[in-house]
Amino acid sequence: MLWGDDDRRRWQAEGPLLEGWGVYHATVDPRDGTLHAAANHVVYGPTVQRSTDTGKTWTRSKQIGLPAESGLTLNATWHIEPGRREDPETLYLGADPGVLFRSDDGGETWEANRGILEHPTREGWFPGAGGMCCHSIQLDPRDRQRMYVGITAAGVFRSDDGGETWIPVNHNVAADFLADPYSEVGQCPHKLLLHPARDRLWQQNHFGVYLSDDHGDSWVRLDGNGLPGGFGFPIMLDPNDPDKAFVIPERGPEYHYSPGGRLTVYRTRDGGDSWEPMADGLPEQAWAAVLREASAYDEESLYFGTQSGSFFALTDGDRWVEAVRHLPPILSVEVAAWSG
Amino acid sequence: MLAAQAEGRKSFEIEAETLGEALHALPVADLLFNERGELNRHLNVYVDGTDARERGGLEGPLAAAREIRIVAMVSGG
Repeated sequence: MLWGDDDRRRWQAEGPLLEGWGVYHATVDPRDGTLHAAANHVVYGPTVQRSTDTGKTWTRSKQIGLPAESGLTLNATWHIEPGRREDPETLYLGADPGVLFRSDDGGETWEANRGILEHPTREGWFPGAGGMCCHSIQLDPRDRQRMYVGITAAGVFRSDDGGETWIPVNHNVAADFLADPYSEVGQCPHKLLLHPARDRLWQQNHFGVYLSDDHGDSWVRLDGNGLPGGFGFPIMLDPNDPDKAFVIPERGPEYHYSPGGRLTVYRTRDGGDSWEPMADGLPEQAWAAVLREASAYDEESLYFGTQSGSFFALTDGDRWVEAVRHLPPILSVEVAAWSG
Repeated sequence: MLAAQAEGRKSFEIEAETLGEALHALPVADLLFNERGELNRHLNVYVDGTDARERGGLEGPLAAAREIRIVAMVSGG
């Protein structure tokens, strides 16, 4: 747990919490302040842990499993998304192998979503280097029935009926490792975000950065407009400006580090028509990698952590501050406001 | 680490007919088995110092066994 002051220049590290667990994603439920963690361990397997006292004590979910008839077993828990305010006990969990769970009791028990589990295109899905993970879950705040998931390497799927059925929405999205690079499924989204104020989806994909203004029915590729490349994992948004987005490119699929040895965040302010580097305060020389869950944004700033254990926050004047260093690999960054 | 998930307790007294029954009675059973009831592969279990696999595995009777040890065998070291 990293605690920062109001200007985000001074930070204190506390912990480690959940010692020994690989926390692929942790998030604070804005509805009640509960901290949820997708926790995995090579010996003890995948689970979800939750804390109602800012991480001092934790409770494990009851065993999360897939139905026997699926022939699948749970490999890892990846992403926890709190549900809508009108469903205060509902949470969603994305997991490997390309599955989505829902909890209606605050994370105590989880049930697999049949529409994703039994999706007719599942034979065309395959795992990426990190497994076949469902890592992105986005609920449309304007339509109670609409939600999206991103699965590697299956693609982006949309439900218009509250999660009963799902349609692939990968039109125009490249999957250059497939025989048909524009097939219906098999794409590799690395992170999918829905802008909170406008029907605009942003996607950092294995092959490019994309935007969709029609609920994923079509996508526009944006990384030819000033980015050093199309490969990367995280993406950040500005909740007050749907034309802004931020990505952290890596050299390429086989080279997971900063291009040119210069860790740089790239910003667009015009919906991806152009990108500009934001490197002030970042190391002059760094071959860094930032994982898909290792960035966050709020009304005021941006935050990310590297696999080499450095945590950066953006301060006034578009200057990055290396707030904490020498941590283990940073798998997940989320930001929450707590008054102390 | 397993004890930390059992509120710090490192030992339990359990009466059971088989090894599987004993392990399932633990409050950390969900961390020992997958959803198919298979023991996680990086765990070694010893019954009175003998590898449980040599004693019939999970179905093996405990009979007069006095001690079951669960050891995490972290691979890759």
